[in-house]
Amino acid sequence: MSGDHIHAEPTNFFRKHVFSVDHKVIAKQFLWFGLVWLGIGGIMAMLIRWQLANPGDPVPVIGSFLFPRTGGVIDPATYNTLFTMHGTIMIFLGLTPLIIGCVGNWAIPLMIGARDMIFPLLNCLSFWTVFAGGCVGFYSLFVPLGATEAGWTGYPTLSTTVNGLGSGETLWAIAVFLIGASSIMGGINYMTTVIRLRAPGMTWGRLPLTVWGLFLTSALNVLFIPVIGSAMLLLIMDRVFGTTFFVPASIMQGGGGGDPILYQHLFWIFGHPEVYILILPAWGIIGDLLSFFARKPAFGYRAQVGAMTAVTVLSAVVYGHHMFTTGLSAMLGESFMLLTMIISVPAEILFFSWLHTIWRGNIRFTVPMLWSVGVIFVFGLGGLTGIYCATIGTDIFLHDTYFIVGHFHLTMAASALFAAFGAIVFFFPKMFGRMMSPLLGKLHFWLTIIPLVSVFCMMFVMGYAGMPRRYYDHTSMEFLASLQHMNKAATHMAFLLGSAQLIFVFNFIKSRWFGKPASTNPWEVGTLDWQTETPLPHYNFKDIPTVVTGPHEFSHPALPEGRDWISMTEELPSA
Amino acid sequence: MTSAAISLPKEGIKSRVNTTLGMVFFIGSWSMSFGTLFLAFAVLRQRSGVWPPVGIALPSLPMATLATAVLIASSVAFHRALQGIDAKDSNAVRADGLGLPWIIGLVTGVAFALLQGWLWMDLMAAGRNPSSGLYESLFYGLTWVHALHVGIGLLSLLWATIGLAAGRYGSHRFSTINNIVIFWHFVDVVWIVLYLAFFIF
Repeated sequence: MSGDHIHAEPTNFFRKHVFSVDHKVIAKQFLWFGLVWLGIGGIMAMLIRWQLANPGDPVPVIGSFLFPRTGGVIDPATYNTLFTMHGTIMIFLGLTPLIIGCVGNWAIPLMIGARDMIFPLLNCLSFWTVFAGGCVGFYSLFVPLGATEAGWTGYPTLSTTVNGLGSGETLWAIAVFLIGASSIMGGINYMTTVIRLRAPGMTWGRLPLTVWGLFLTSALNVLFIPVIGSAMLLLIMDRVFGTTFFVPASIMQGGGGGDPILYQHLFWIFGHPEVYILILPAWGIIGDLLSFFARKPAFGYRAQVGAMTAVTVLSAVVYGHHMFTTGLSAMLGESFMLLTMIISVPAEILFFSWLHTIWRGNIRFTVPMLWSVGVIFVFGLGGLTGIYCATIGTDIFLHDTYFIVGHFHLTMAASALFAAFGAIVFFFPKMFGRMMSPLLGKLHFWLTIIPLVSVFCMMFVMGYAGMPRRYYDHTSMEFLASLQHMNKAATHMAFLLGSAQLIFVFNFIKSRWFGKPASTNPWEVGTLDWQTETPLPHYNFKDIPTVVTGPHEFSHPALPEGRDWISMTEELPSA
Repeated sequence: MTSAAISLPKEGIKSRVNTTLGMVFFIGSWSMSFGTLFLAFAVLRQRSGVWPPVGIALPSLPMATLATAVLIASSVAFHRALQGIDAKDSNAVRADGLGLPWIIGLVTGVAFALLQGWLWMDLMAAGRNPSSGLYESLFYGLTWVHALHVGIGLLSLLWATIGLAAGRYGSHRFSTINNIVIFWHFVDVVWIVLYLAFFIF
């Protein structure tokens, strides 16, 4: 039997809730962990926006508590720390735990009909490694000379001891290394689980798209996280042991000879796949959710899987488009430009498949459906603006401006975040046995998407007008001073976006303990995770189910009147 | 020991495939990690005009060659030892597994670690430390990371040796010991590439 590796239900509190090896508990641990860090990263974003709108003014209310030394004013070094840690936290400690750690741990075993991950102990280790990484990152905020100021990319020479003297940068590198190690462990676990533990009849052609997205992401995790791991090791050696991998001879007396651009290559060999690490699960999730709530089979299931696989492969060979301004040879630059443009082909296949899935569907505008449609919208905006970033001629002008900031926030951050929200609301009834409030959910959705799109579209305009990212005070430059009213407007929208998240926090906490009890299959879908009872038994499935139908058989003409879905374990009635 | 008398069930073929597949992914991941280090080596070496730098003490070629030979011997020995373990019950494993090949593998493994230490001490004694320059950065940096894996490999092998002595392995838990040896082979292959990169080409 493909699920007969069973560990006994723990009785001791620590084994049950803290060092648990049960994928359901670990998924919830990742969920809480990711949400807390999302909050911390979000507060940092608000502080950045405050400084941009009101340069040099003390932060109201929380300012004197956060920055007592300056009387609540964000000084330039703190500002650098804020945008650096905002990026690092959101990517590595917010979105990754939510969309890969939580959704992956929850959805993979349940959707493929397994009793747990294939390596439960490795799973436990994966969570506690990312937890340790989070602790190191958090601690680095309080060391003398402050946390890293080198940007989330940590480029040398900013990140070497030549510029960053304190231990903050070293701790940052250690944190990224630990978080990466956790992702590798998770990736190996997910891949092996999907390959080996699928229930009988769960062929590759019947895998829910969520599992496909997570599987492909895991492959990227396993292959490309080690690259940044090694880059971090070299950076740590440069900082601690005085080696000179990234320190050029020109800035170091009597030594050096290293190459800062080498770091950029290593970083982006990882960094570009990382973008797809975050977006592939999002694509998979909404591929499923759109079909579930349009009550129609996913349009072009095979095309969607093929497109996601093509993007996975292509993501490995496009990283050079982050480095057009480093003096890359013209031939190399043009090759990277062409390869990057090719990615838009599978991306469009996905896009049209999603639109065709909901086209003439019997759409139920539930909260997960709203978030999925939101992903299509923000990903479309981000994708279209990506063309200007991929073209060398326009990118050289737009490089390091707010246009880039707007682009990647929409493409990667907002899309992944929206898919994570959709997945949380969707899986919530099975996770906690209660429904989240749809009214609050819809309010949260609209109060998130409207300000979010406004903020980042204003960033496009400001970036196109030439406003560089990472500057402490734009008003000191005459040609940017006229943009200040737009900066203020963007900040107001950002504050609205930030406050709207309180609705989610309230809804989440309230529904967790006081929500309406959920039935076994409240969304009326056919995938295996909704066929077991709620709350889930320790072993998920008493008997491993046998799969006979695909995951998206909605509104099939052969189904009896009044029922538009069929479980994956039921044979379709012959028409 | 009494445990020898108990006959344990054979490890299922499915479970053996599972753990080996996981190990294959791990090795793939580790290859990317070391591949990154070698990429850094290649780029930085290409950028320097003269390689290896002239007029300074370099690591000893004869000792590095000896270390390479010792490590290959260790890998071969463990491979032979595994052939004696597979598909046997734990009773026979203690005799065959802890036989001569296993002991040779362990001794040569430790010998490699000592030789690696000697290479570092020799270079330090000549006044070349990690911050002396690019060559030293690369040599110390890459061998440090490799040595870390040698350490992990040796500790795992030591743990496996204790397990063998206790009759813990055999056909019912072959994949554990197999994975440790796969890891050791990987450490061996990385060293061979390191040796070729620093001493031959």
